Amino acid sequence: MTAPPPAPVRDPAWPLSRSAIGLWTTQGVISTVVYVLALAAFFVFVPGDAGTPVTLVRWLGPVLVVVHGALAIGVRPRLRYRVHRWEVTDEAVFTLTGWLTRTWTLVPISRIQTVDVTRGVLQGLFGLSTVLVLTASSQGTVRMPHLETDVARRVADDLARRAELVRDEAT
Amino acid sequence: MIDPAPQPGERTSPRVLLVHTITFRQARALAPVVLGIGAARGLGDGPAALVALVVGITVLSLLAAAVSWWRFSYAVGDRAVVVTRGLLTRSVRTVPLDRVRGVEVEAPLLHRVFGLVRVRIDAAAGSSVTGTEELLVDGVPRAEGDRLRAVLLTRRARPAAGEPEPEHDAAQDDPTEPVEEEIARFDNRWLLYAPLVGGYLAVPLAAVGALTRLADELPERFVPDVEGPDVVDGPVVAIAVVAAVLVLVLGSVIGAAVVNWRFRLVRRGGSLIAVRGLVTRRHTELEIDRIRGYTVSEGLGMRLVGAARASALVTGLGDAARRGQLFPLGPRAQAWSLGERIVEAPGPLRAHPPAARRRAVVRSVVPGSVVLLAGAVLTATLGWWGVLVAGIVLTVLGVPLGLGLYAALGHAAGPHSLAVRSGWLLRSHTVLQRRAVIGWQVRQSPFQRRAGLATVVACVGAGSGGYAAVDLAADEAAGFVTTASGRWAGTLHPSS
Repeated sequence: MTAPPPAPVRDPAWPLSRSAIGLWTTQGVISTVVYVLALAAFFVFVPGDAGTPVTLVRWLGPVLVVVHGALAIGVRPRLRYRVHRWEVTDEAVFTLTGWLTRTWTLVPISRIQTVDVTRGVLQGLFGLSTVLVLTASSQGTVRMPHLETDVARRVADDLARRAELVRDEAT
Repeated sequence: MIDPAPQPGERTSPRVLLVHTITFRQARALAPVVLGIGAARGLGDGPAALVALVVGITVLSLLAAAVSWWRFSYAVGDRAVVVTRGLLTRSVRTVPLDRVRGVEVEAPLLHRVFGLVRVRIDAAAGSSVTGTEELLVDGVPRAEGDRLRAVLLTRRARPAAGEPEPEHDAAQDDPTEPVEEEIARFDNRWLLYAPLVGGYLAVPLAAVGALTRLADELPERFVPDVEGPDVVDGPVVAIAVVAAVLVLVLGSVIGAAVVNWRFRLVRRGGSLIAVRGLVTRRHTELEIDRIRGYTVSEGLGMRLVGAARASALVTGLGDAARRGQLFPLGPRAQAWSLGERIVEAPGPLRAHPPAARRRAVVRSVVPGSVVLLAGAVLTATLGWWGVLVAGIVLTVLGVPLGLGLYAALGHAAGPHSLAVRSGWLLRSHTVLQRRAVIGWQVRQSPFQRRAGLATVVACVGAGSGGYAAVDLAADEAAGFVTTASGRWAGTLHPSS
């Protein structure tokens, strides 16, 4: 139990775009700022001598926000980038996501129902898009987040075309 | 896909007006308004006001029912079924016949009085992920309902061959109907299992709940002034407990009887047909070609007496938990032999590694030990020892719970199918056809990684969408997936 045991299945080959780190960091900064503002509002509007719970929040709140900030800005983006991988093989779409709990998802191209490309506002700033591969199963959805937009579009087109060619019943 | 010129639609039977008037189906929405107005203006005291109110609501209800009957029509074309309705905004829904996934004919009590049935048509919607939609044709004569079902289900597959006559109640079996094979029939002795099944136990509880609510709302003067027993002594408590147990047992048996009365599962051509119900008679048809597997579930109480329940996993079936039922309640062996006819089992289950047992025990002991810890702190600071005792009890109970959870775990993969089992309170054992799996997911939390375990989920376009083999040995995960799914899953192998 000392050396990290090997992964249960192999990892997909390709990493995400490096801009994903920037995007996740930005998201971390935004959420931290929101928490700081909420906490500041609490300090300003709630009188400090209103009982034990308030004192508790006054002490715990800043600690939690600092921990969250350190994790969300300093640790999580890099860890996520190290974990996240994706690959499209001849037969299947294969992804690995998560940062603490890891999830490998494998869907054969013949069972793909629809392929969506979505781009949020923040993603747009970093030139990234998400490819969503849907199947008949609610749990069999493959998300390939934060690919470069032109890569995402190419992958989506290619998958949709190949799915059309090899589709069987798809359920 | 749409018929060029939809034929003039057919109406439902006018008798449905009576049914809907009696049940206030359409007027139900108006009732609060009327009551509100009544309350605001103050009802006269006399019975005349009450009568006026009742007559008014009935007339309103009749009107509403008449309007929706008048504006509703349905037509079954060669390629699509069209339902038109709506007073001001007309809505026309066209469902291509090849999208029809199932047809259910049900006959609630009032409908039966008037010789009517309700037909539910399940359709797969476009390409959305979970989408199924439903067309409801409410209130056609029984024969017409059966004709609709037959037409909808046969026209899709083969040219309309005669009309299978699904009349089970009377002995008027048509000699030309396709061969029917009875697969299961409910034995009334199985009702005795009902008190051990959670779902049926809930029936009397719900009834008691409704009664107390009713009693609360009764005006004070109607409540009989019963002198409650002042002394809480042994015999009274004992009698109350015995009475409560009796009510529970009887209620659950009655509940099970009402739902499953004369349950019958038959196979006719390419379909499985389930008929059941005492008050509302349901007639559900499942296409065998769309069945992807089955689940046999055994609750804690059911395991004690060897009872089980089986349901089919069908693609594109809405409300699958109820409609997919193949075997509502009965002996274990029967449930299994039924399942075996649908999907060949992949062989005996393999147990999960000892690390999975450790993890199961640890996970079920943790909540108890948190309480224990809190209890220790409280005992030390405030002298409350109650929490400490509760914590000790919970922690100790966690051990058998964890062992039970571990004992339920298992998985197997064969050439045609795969199986997973889990759950302690409700143990469910799912067997899936090989073609059912449309994707795999492997999950590993940091704790699982340390223990060398992983959870493997088979994604399926039927039932709950995914079936998990929890806490497999991590190095067995890839092997399990490839045995179950063949070549395309080989991508996952660590060596490749």
